[in-house]
Amino acid sequence: MKAKVRWGFTPLTNVFSERFGFIQLQNPMDRIARLLFAAFTVALFPLDLASAASGPDFEKEVKPILESACLRCHGTGKEKGGLQLHSREAMMKGGDTDTAVVEGDPEHSLLIERIVLPISDDEVMPQETDEVLPQEQIDVLKRWVAAGAPWPEGIRLKAAKQKLTKNELVFPDQAPKNLHEVAQTIDRVLEHENERRGALKGEQIDDMAFLRRATVDLVGIIPTIDDIREYQSWPAAERREKQIDKLLNDERFADRWMVFYSDMLRVRSNARGGRELQAWIHQCVSENVAWDKMAYELISASGRTTQNPAVGFLLGDGADPMNMAAATSQIFLGVRLACAQCHDHPFDDWNQMEFYEMASFFGKSVQRDVRIRDRLLYTKVDEEETQRVQWPPEREQPSSREPVKPRFPFELVSYQTPPHFINRFNAIRQAEAEIEAKKDEGDALDTLLDLDTTSKGIGGFDVLSEAKKASEDLNVYKDLHKESDLRQEVARMVTSPRNTYFSRSFVNRIWAELNGQGFVEPLDNFSEFQALKHPQTIEYISREFIASGFDLKTLIKMIMLTETYSRGHLGPEATPAMIEIASKNFTASPVRRMIGESIYDSVVQAGHVAERKWRQGENVRLVTTQIRIPISGETSEDPLEVAANDSASMGMTANMMNNMQSAGAGYDLESGIEIDFKKVLSDAAKTESELDSMKAQADAMLAEQERMRMMAEQNRRRPQRYQLKTIQEEKDDNPSFSSTMRMASPAPADHFVRVFGQPSRAALGEFREQNASLRQQLMMLNGKATHEAARVGTLEPLHNMVTGPNANIDAAINHVYLECLTREPTAEEFADAKAIVGNAGEEAVSGMSDLRWALLNCHEFRFLP
Amino acid sequence: MTGCKDYHMTRRRMLQGAGITGAATFLGMPVRSLVANPSVAPRAEQVILFWNGGGMSHIDTWDPKPGRPTAGEFSPIKTSVDGIEISEIFPKVAKQMHHASLIRSIAGTNGDHGRATYELQSSFQQTSNTTIHPGIGSVVVSQRNAQSDLPAFVSIGGRAPRAGYLGQSCEAYYIGRPGERDPYLAFPEGINQVQGNKRLDILAKMNLRSSQKFGAQEMKAAETALNDAIDLMRSPQLSVFDLEKESPQTLARYGETDFGRAALLARKLVETGVRFVQVNRGGFDNHEEIFPAMRTHGEVMDPALASLIEDLAASGKLDTTLVVMLSEFGRTPRVNQNAGRDHYAKVFSMFMAGGGVKGGNVVGSSDMDGMLPEDRPVHVPDIHASILHAMGIDYAKPLTTPDGRPMTLVRKGSNPIGELFA
Repeated sequence: MKAKVRWGFTPLTNVFSERFGFIQLQNPMDRIARLLFAAFTVALFPLDLASAASGPDFEKEVKPILESACLRCHGTGKEKGGLQLHSREAMMKGGDTDTAVVEGDPEHSLLIERIVLPISDDEVMPQETDEVLPQEQIDVLKRWVAAGAPWPEGIRLKAAKQKLTKNELVFPDQAPKNLHEVAQTIDRVLEHENERRGALKGEQIDDMAFLRRATVDLVGIIPTIDDIREYQSWPAAERREKQIDKLLNDERFADRWMVFYSDMLRVRSNARGGRELQAWIHQCVSENVAWDKMAYELISASGRTTQNPAVGFLLGDGADPMNMAAATSQIFLGVRLACAQCHDHPFDDWNQMEFYEMASFFGKSVQRDVRIRDRLLYTKVDEEETQRVQWPPEREQPSSREPVKPRFPFELVSYQTPPHFINRFNAIRQAEAEIEAKKDEGDALDTLLDLDTTSKGIGGFDVLSEAKKASEDLNVYKDLHKESDLRQEVARMVTSPRNTYFSRSFVNRIWAELNGQGFVEPLDNFSEFQALKHPQTIEYISREFIASGFDLKTLIKMIMLTETYSRGHLGPEATPAMIEIASKNFTASPVRRMIGESIYDSVVQAGHVAERKWRQGENVRLVTTQIRIPISGETSEDPLEVAANDSASMGMTANMMNNMQSAGAGYDLESGIEIDFKKVLSDAAKTESELDSMKAQADAMLAEQERMRMMAEQNRRRPQRYQLKTIQEEKDDNPSFSSTMRMASPAPADHFVRVFGQPSRAALGEFREQNASLRQQLMMLNGKATHEAARVGTLEPLHNMVTGPNANIDAAINHVYLECLTREPTAEEFADAKAIVGNAGEEAVSGMSDLRWALLNCHEFRFLP
Repeated sequence: MTGCKDYHMTRRRMLQGAGITGAATFLGMPVRSLVANPSVAPRAEQVILFWNGGGMSHIDTWDPKPGRPTAGEFSPIKTSVDGIEISEIFPKVAKQMHHASLIRSIAGTNGDHGRATYELQSSFQQTSNTTIHPGIGSVVVSQRNAQSDLPAFVSIGGRAPRAGYLGQSCEAYYIGRPGERDPYLAFPEGINQVQGNKRLDILAKMNLRSSQKFGAQEMKAAETALNDAIDLMRSPQLSVFDLEKESPQTLARYGETDFGRAALLARKLVETGVRFVQVNRGGFDNHEEIFPAMRTHGEVMDPALASLIEDLAASGKLDTTLVVMLSEFGRTPRVNQNAGRDHYAKVFSMFMAGGGVKGGNVVGSSDMDGMLPEDRPVHVPDIHASILHAMGIDYAKPLTTPDGRPMTLVRKGSNPIGELFA
């Protein structure tokens, strides 16, 4: 019904716009408005369509449109909706719904009908993009159909790959002087690519907003009063850059970016080797290990989790070759090759064989759990002789299968003369190698001179090397593993500076992390068939990222020095559509919510509940709790909670489910226990030396232990009958809170940080959800952390500002605004605050807690400026 | 109309997301009408799903094999329906059999906890890690709206499966221990109503300033969520979570266990209008000493399940409430050397009652030793198609996931089990 109405007017739209010189904006809202307007004008301007007689040139005009916009899904081997458009015969056959083209009659040709729909329509073509076809292209296709859809003999169409950079470079092809020049170039190239997009620009944010935004982005927590004072003491012209440098060198940088990597790599503390992997990532970020080196390790590592924590990445997928092919392409290269696992990729031209060829790099690597009886000693990744990846696929139930020969499906660019950024990259790597060589010489000498110098104390890679040494000693007589040549080979190609997917994919993720939106969305869905909106910008940043030696901090800094990073939001006059266009083109900052970990940690910091803010005994009060009183003297627990470890949340290991259960109910959902990552790595080393004694344990002892375990298990299964009683007990209620950045992750399923979007890290392509939710609000409004943070403790500076001889309510209000929102209140807010806080003394202690509670809960607290 | 609380969707998600918009015509597929059993109009309004994690033995529960070498230690007992016998561990449930249907011929395909759980809760095979399929509770609430102030989907004791591509908003509202107060539903201790409301007023004013400064959807969404949260805190319906007011007799009838309280709470939740309640309980992975374990399970489950059915029937609510008890697989007919039974998926059983499901009814059968399906093998996804059919949801509805993948609510090719519906 809708279609009929639409049909009456669409051809007239162009005529109308041509006549009246309309400028066609590629803006969905404009387009809807235009269509409506056109519909309205149909009656006023009745025109005949005979003018559409001479058709456009097929090869020059029609073919490029069909090849770039349609063939990806309607080409050879692809037939979405049953329709193929690679030849005229195929096209005239039509699709499942109807004939696609009625010669000479665009009005009744589905092909035209679908492309003129507004972007908001489910049926609009092309799909898989967020823009309708440009009006000029629609016009060409209409005129072509009107002219009888002529198709010269013998021409077959093929989906056109979008060259990532079509045009001549608009940036200088040489090394820049410094990062400032890089940042300016990024802004300039972006501006160039945004020409004629009609995106509104946000104002540059002020210095204080920059401080807050940058601090949360880089170290995951809002600035303290001291941070603010120091920042303000710096000369205005330098303070932003100084702040960036300060944050990049802050210890907490490693916490925040470990979270970033953990999301991307799907680190699960409770998977095999997950704990060690998390600690290893933390260490890599602390020591600023280059991304290509990290990635190389993750893909190629072999051995035990305890000696080589990077194997945790493979173990997270049980070293399954299919999963590894999918994960490697999606995580490191931003390509959803996984779609080709069961069938050729529906939108791209990755075929199933290519997926299998990629998988076979991982086909000889296996996970080995080494046990004595039922007890797991350790897990390792080892290499076998047999290639497990075989063709044809098992699901086709072939009579015989052959091992698949590994082949890397992604192109590595060959340069006749290496460009400047590759040379710069090589220079960095060479310099590093020289330093490394010198260090090795020195170490060898030290060892000769004094054996004691090998134990260099705790921390950093020393622990790791000790662990390695200990395990090598063990390996001599017990437990050799083979390195994987195949995975080393694929790791080299994945991380090569000549692999444009590798650098672009990472740049896209970091850009999105800092600007709220990637060049490509979803972030891991690069496709050669989808034109980039900002090909030159991403290309330029990627080149500079390669030139930096894949250095995360350099990449972050070049982005943060741009004007683009410091853009503000659009005001209330902007429509959602305008905001969307501006966000996608990076001309204004989208409203970004802090990640859950940052909200929590910031509440804890602003409310001074990480440290003690009360004297002993000041919070002694009656605390109401519910307790269970067993009936008939039974003491064990009910299976509802203890045995729910096999009540299986989907796709999780039993171990993880155990962990999820531990959260239980009540305020536990806000608790977080920080992990000491260095200890994890040194414990790992210790385990190595314990192996011997464990192995020596007599079988009889192990059997006894097993029997005890089973008995305990049986006991736990006794049902507990109980009554619930509400009791009040006197208690000095001084909870303390620690950072959620360093927790085992992902947190239990209903934990605060999960409710605020921490992903379960179970699947590929799972990103942090930004949604608001009822549960989020309840946990903020009534949570223990916000409640305790709001209260004014006697030991915190604020206390003496609201009560006692030196009380100064005005100063207190400014103080709390700075601590919570990183700014002073406006005059209007200040007046409100005065009324809320009231007079110095007990009234103000209570009033101030109300004010601080509201500041912690308000939009401005959780959404970045 | 969806019961998923969603406060912020990107444009693209609004277009194709969350399975809400049918892309039926675009995909060229006709929307299938409910053809399973045209004579029966769906009449379930709510579902209570008991999930027995670990793989519950079929022979020791719904499908006894007296006199066979696989019979185990329990004897069958008569039920309120002539000719239907179940294990002695369920004496009270046996008296409610005239309200219930048993399926004794589920032909499972997975013997691994993870994969089987995935399939039994979602109807889909866990093929790869590219798409996560939502659990049946999330599917139901994505298609049927909330009917009360309370969330549409509540999970008690352990997690319901994830909502997968339907997104966080369709996930269950989680209650750890039934009967214990959720501290997040009221102002914290030490904050009375007056002070709490004062704080909310201050907050509203602050937020208004931010919203006036920016037109962002994100803030509007947070605002809506905030208002919903406050409404929920103030809702009189919250009192259903409080079981302390229940009479000692009622608590005793349900068994005074966590599971009993969960069943009682589930009843009260559906009476209030919650669409889908999932009660999770584990402990069925009995590789050793299965008989004492199952006896204990019986002591816990029997009074709870029987009282629930009895009470729902007495109030007339059973007619519109579908009660389902399900596990990821059964257990080996042969008893192993540790007096346990191991994983067994080739045939197993389930329990259903209410919501239009026939009472006193057995669908299918296993062979004499409980080894293979004999009559009317039931494929796993047919269970989910039946649940959706009972709820009046088009189980074959095609949709598109947010990442553009064509999808159906339950696995393609599945059909409601006609014999279940009266």
